[in-house]
Amino acid sequence: MIRKIMVWAGVVMLGACLCSAEVWKAPDQEKAKERAKELVPFVDAVKDDCKVLRRVCLLDKGIDIKDVETTYFHLESPIIKAREDHYGPVRFAHKRHAALIGDCTACHHYRPKDESMSETTRCSACHQEAFKADNPQRLGLKAAFHQQCMACHKQEAKGPVNCTGCHLKNVPDHKELVKLPDDADPFQVTAECRRCHDAQAEDMLTTAHWLWKGPSPFTVKHRKDIQHGKGTTALNNY
Amino acid sequence: MDCLVCHDTTGTYKKAPPGAGMPAKDVDLKFVAQNVGHSSRASCGSCHFNGGGGDAIKHADLSRQLLTPDRNCDVHMGGYDFSCAECHKTRNHKIAGRSSSVPASEGAVSCRDCHSDTPHYCGSLLDHHLNKHCKTIDCNTCHSPVYAKCKPTKTWWDWSKAGDKKRKPKKDKYGQPDYHWKKGEFKWKESPKPTYAWYDGYMERVLMGQKVDIHAPVINLTDPVGSIKDPSSKITPFKIMKGVQAVDAENDYFLIPHLFPRNKEDKTAYWKNLDWEKAFTDGMQAVNLDYSGTFKWVETWMYWRLEHEVMPANMALSCVQCHESLKEEKTCNRCHQDNRDVDFKAIAQKGTDFSFMMSKGRDVSHLKDTTDYIDFKALGYEGDPIIHGGRFKKLPMGYGDKMPRE
Repeated sequence: MIRKIMVWAGVVMLGACLCSAEVWKAPDQEKAKERAKELVPFVDAVKDDCKVLRRVCLLDKGIDIKDVETTYFHLESPIIKAREDHYGPVRFAHKRHAALIGDCTACHHYRPKDESMSETTRCSACHQEAFKADNPQRLGLKAAFHQQCMACHKQEAKGPVNCTGCHLKNVPDHKELVKLPDDADPFQVTAECRRCHDAQAEDMLTTAHWLWKGPSPFTVKHRKDIQHGKGTTALNNY
Repeated sequence: MDCLVCHDTTGTYKKAPPGAGMPAKDVDLKFVAQNVGHSSRASCGSCHFNGGGGDAIKHADLSRQLLTPDRNCDVHMGGYDFSCAECHKTRNHKIAGRSSSVPASEGAVSCRDCHSDTPHYCGSLLDHHLNKHCKTIDCNTCHSPVYAKCKPTKTWWDWSKAGDKKRKPKKDKYGQPDYHWKKGEFKWKESPKPTYAWYDGYMERVLMGQKVDIHAPVINLTDPVGSIKDPSSKITPFKIMKGVQAVDAENDYFLIPHLFPRNKEDKTAYWKNLDWEKAFTDGMQAVNLDYSGTFKWVETWMYWRLEHEVMPANMALSCVQCHESLKEEKTCNRCHQDNRDVDFKAIAQKGTDFSFMMSKGRDVSHLKDTTDYIDFKALGYEGDPIIHGGRFKKLPMGYGDKMPRE
């Protein structure tokens, strides 16, 4: 019984510690993450106007970059994550894209039929789960993001078009994957990593972080050399 | 090969003293290995924040402050939680970055990779001028107006004073010691103004064994290459790490001392025996270079490029902080007649508020209300380019009676 009480006391104290410790957060990122979590009501009906006319219409209304409220988005959504979660979210400089393209309708291609709604509603208002039973022709959010970003990047020959150009790959949980004795020594650890990541380990052996030397393309008179570095010829005064 | 030092996510991994080589005995390696992940500011920083033997010593703009940075210290890491590798893109474990301190490089990283050559994008008159500035001025010049603003960095290291075990270190105004018997005499600075130089991305560098003029008042170990006449050179901010170190007085090259004792029997390590002669003899032997037996202390400078600690946009330098002429009655209206929609004076003067930085405890009182921040004359201009013309364009625009007469 005493032992039980002590365990509980420990749990309570740990909880108190976790609550009272101030957790550092990056404010802009945090705000963007909160926004990405939001789920908004599905816009079923859109006004099906010609994109050329829509562009002119927005310009006539004077809607442009000064109306951009959110500079930065963290492109991630519970809608996408529900289905799969292999890649990390994407940082998206919204205002910068708006300025660069100069045409809101490049992305905000339709508007909700309901005139009281915003001209430039967010992607996830119209694009949600893929293959919705009552709206199967509407692209899902993941496809909408990818088609919009990649098609434009390809057409403009600007910006990334491959997976890791935008996303960081999620690292799978290694708890079950890593097989080591409890008192593993450093050599066993490296061998265990290499069991799956041998190619990466071979890569590592050719890098400046391993060799402590490497190419020096930005050092004049040594631009074609490959032997300089902290492990060989570098000097310092500290 | 140690995978864990970069891929630890638990924060429990550490190396055995002196912080290199094998992991410390008390690290639960299985636990760390089962929780591996992408590199982070913490894992990169476990080495790079400690350059020079401790936190914030050699890098002007990297310190443990960047683990949980204030937004005003570094907007990318503090505002948007960037990890190092998001900019220092990595391919096959080769990590891009153009170090100014060491020669090895596996690719370059530039603000422009994300922000483009025209980063001021809202289309205003001011943006137009700022984008023109980008052809001549490096981003960090305006956007990192002071360095080491969250933690003092070492700016002076005089090895010749080392060896006095009786000397009591005094603390400076930042609480940093001015002396260590192992290392010599130090100076520290917090939030200093950088040194500005023309820089085209290349460094001149003194390497081990290279002959130098040992009688020069100062020897630059790293020296930015650039010229006011070179269109690809930009005005770029640097921290200069200054110090005193030893050269071989006959061979005219720098000496490498053996510092850290190899073992208990070590008879030559400076940090054990306090004998420079022995330390140089051993150190030079280790790098296969001749030591003549006589050494000389010389002053050396290392230019360290400042790239991090980018402040939020509204804290960038304002026009008037460099252009003294904009302090006068006429500002943008030297050229622009139409001021219906813009307050010229407000545009020219908005920007870094050093009093705000002071209120946050930064040591910048001497920078308040200053102008000619980057020192135009030192950079090769006749003076404020608004009055005297830019480096390529000499077009007289609305100078009125301020126009220089022949």
